[in-house]
Amino acid sequence: MPNLDGGHYFFTGIVPVNNTGIVQHEAMKSSPIHMVREALETLPTALQSHASEKIGIQSPFARSLRTHFARIVVLDEPFYNGRDHADALVSAIRGTDLLEAQPVDALACPYLLVMIDFDPADAQGKGEPRGYFEELWRLMPAELTAVFRYCYGFDAVTDAASFAGFILACQVETTMPFNDYWVGAPQLPSLSTAMLAAVPIVGLAVPLLLAWCWHWSWWQGLLLGIGGALLGVLIDYWLVMRRGGKPFPAAPNSTLRDVLKALYLQQAFTRFVIARQGADPATLGPAFRAFLAEHRPGDLDAPTQSPGVIRSHFPKGAA
Amino acid sequence: MTALDLADIQGGILRAYGQSFPKARYFFLTIRNAAKGRQFVEQLRPRITTAARWKDPNRGEALLRTRNPRVKDVVRAEGVPDYPGEVQLIKPRVTLNIAFTFYGLAALEVPTRTLRAMPDEFIDGMERRASILGDDPFLDSRDAVWRNSEGKNRVHLLVSMNAGMNPDGTPIAELEEETRWLQQLCADSKGGVVLLSGTGPDDALWQEMSAVLREDNGAFWPTNKEHFGLSDGFGDPVFAGQLSGEAERLRMIGGGKILPDQSWAPLAPGEFLLGYVDEAQEIPGAAMPIEFSRNGTFMAYRKLHENVASFANYIERAGEHYARMFNIADPEEARETVKAKMVGRWSDGVPLMAAPTHADWERFKAELAAAHAAGDKPKLAQLALKYTDFNYRPDPAGATCPVTSHLRRANPRDMLDPNFTSPDAKSWDGSALVNRRRILRRGLPYGHVDPAAPDDANEQGIIFMAICSSLFRQFEFVQQQWMQYGLDFNAGSDTCPIVGNHDEEAKLVVVTDPATARQPFLCDHIPQLVESRGGDYFFVPSMTALRMIGMGIIDPT
Repeated sequence: MPNLDGGHYFFTGIVPVNNTGIVQHEAMKSSPIHMVREALETLPTALQSHASEKIGIQSPFARSLRTHFARIVVLDEPFYNGRDHADALVSAIRGTDLLEAQPVDALACPYLLVMIDFDPADAQGKGEPRGYFEELWRLMPAELTAVFRYCYGFDAVTDAASFAGFILACQVETTMPFNDYWVGAPQLPSLSTAMLAAVPIVGLAVPLLLAWCWHWSWWQGLLLGIGGALLGVLIDYWLVMRRGGKPFPAAPNSTLRDVLKALYLQQAFTRFVIARQGADPATLGPAFRAFLAEHRPGDLDAPTQSPGVIRSHFPKGAA
Repeated sequence: MTALDLADIQGGILRAYGQSFPKARYFFLTIRNAAKGRQFVEQLRPRITTAARWKDPNRGEALLRTRNPRVKDVVRAEGVPDYPGEVQLIKPRVTLNIAFTFYGLAALEVPTRTLRAMPDEFIDGMERRASILGDDPFLDSRDAVWRNSEGKNRVHLLVSMNAGMNPDGTPIAELEEETRWLQQLCADSKGGVVLLSGTGPDDALWQEMSAVLREDNGAFWPTNKEHFGLSDGFGDPVFAGQLSGEAERLRMIGGGKILPDQSWAPLAPGEFLLGYVDEAQEIPGAAMPIEFSRNGTFMAYRKLHENVASFANYIERAGEHYARMFNIADPEEARETVKAKMVGRWSDGVPLMAAPTHADWERFKAELAAAHAAGDKPKLAQLALKYTDFNYRPDPAGATCPVTSHLRRANPRDMLDPNFTSPDAKSWDGSALVNRRRILRRGLPYGHVDPAAPDDANEQGIIFMAICSSLFRQFEFVQQQWMQYGLDFNAGSDTCPIVGNHDEEAKLVVVTDPATARQPFLCDHIPQLVESRGGDYFFVPSMTALRMIGMGIIDPT
């Protein structure tokens, strides 16, 4: 369920790295995972701060007009926090041998944790995430190769379809997506309290009624009634969980292209307001019409903000 | 009530020297020989001013000395003692205090185990925190003493002297005598302790400071103005144990914290002194042994240059614009209004929350003048409270006091209550989120400004000191998140209109009352008004810790 939530696809994958032997990159001989880390650490981030703006090398993920966030992290080993906590008295009574090692979770190899939030091509998410990864391969094959080249199964990757197949095999379900685009509370249908209350009440009342009609003894009726009420609570639980399992609705205008256009318009409009504050309605009206014509609020294609940057660039003096 | 060991706490933490010591000299020293450094600390120790209460033999009628009453003046005029405890001291002529950088403590051979428990930001020092504080653009224009603060010229020690003033506006003679004495101590150390030069453009040996003075028939009086002409220093936090019972009861209103039921209480002393319970209801960990940390605190020292010509020109331009937009005939009224909207207070310190419009301000001033003329103390007390007694619940949109004005950023009071807009009073949290971000502000202006010929390049500004028990949680957070950024106030990347870093598009949105159809006013293209000229982070030890440092007997085990 939560892979697709709030109108966005939240992809999570864990990709094992074949970290055996040594590999050579230029003069450097090192372990494969070392070279993967180097590839990740030299992968440019988006131009999202003053410092990275100065560097000016854009993240390859910004080539896609569907990527909101992408993170790739190396997982070495799960944390080991020592023996499981246990009551000393219970351990003594059971005769637990504290010198006997407990099983410890360990990974056989390093994994790459891949988390990408993107817009599905289809609102219902049909064809995703395959479609997205095929697009990504077409946009940044060299960078993806540098990152994933030592992963198990990457040898079989030759084109977009085989890359998508490779990464999809490593997908795990996203159980906690984080979606920031809802600014107000969405209108969610809520289960009626009266209906929820009615189910166990009916479960309680029907056997009592039957007992009264058919002259069962009072305790038989009561026992069946309690059973019926419990069944009602279980049905309520199932109803609530089923409703809770439905994806969150998409926030209005929250695809990447909408967000980029909104950021662009916000900056352009601030400039417009500053340049014309205090102007009389006679000049304001035509100026605003000119603003609409120039910046085309309904047109997501252009003019708009480029992906991966924190500000739009306007010609000098433009407003 | 928390009973603080006042004679163990250095002066200047509980009380601002401010108006009663309007002249100051701050000395920066480096220690090149540990034993001589410790000897120097021992020589200074008996003369250090503590927070113990003192009697002022020349104390006048406080209310008459200031034009705008402050709660503390009213308290004084009522004869209520400001600070707790018995009076056994006479007010000193010159105060003397001392503080250490991390490298200063290391140079004095404070044990490694004590040093390594010091907070990261204090170990880093102000220069390495430049990107957090927004100081990067100004690193090269720092005073020489800070530019050269490394190796054998690293600033280790701050010795501060605050002094009274002669009627002609010059410091009392004792300040010069104490200066000579300090210089002699350095000379006697034969290079063990060296007074560093380079505070200011002329290689001065110390930072000279003075309140901005006002002349009255040939006599000079200190004011609470800084060089932009704004009155400062009203909103300092009030914490438990800082003041006597009655003074605390009055001054915590507006100075303390807001409880969920909207009443006021003093803040926990652990926010400003190490070794006490803080607002998280715990005593935070500190460097061992605990006697070394307890009753001590941290201080950020910053020299902030003020571009007074840029400020005057900007207010002139924005004022004209404002007058045009809102049909205001009097240009002075428009200028004052723009200034007040940027600061959150009118130029004499009256908060916008107490006097939202220029007409309200005029009325407030008339009331104040009448109460002064009549010597009406109850009325003056009532007016004095208005300088601090307000919260932002009546003004959620910032139509009265802009949400991103300097005042509201520095202390958002109840505004960051997660249930600020909730109509259910039972869900309110008061100022719980803000109580962990409060700082004690100390300092004085430096340099001189000729109002007839303001200039950006002259040596002028304010020495700003922030005292708090965690520089990271309190001072740096306020500076980074609230002054240099606007996200907590839903203002994107807009920085503080006064002390923030301004790029070419810096702006302030002045919201108007949503009930009226008036357009908002945008203060646009605000120039850079304040620039850091350097500074550092200091540990201000207790008298106990100073003795341990001086005697070299710190045992952290």
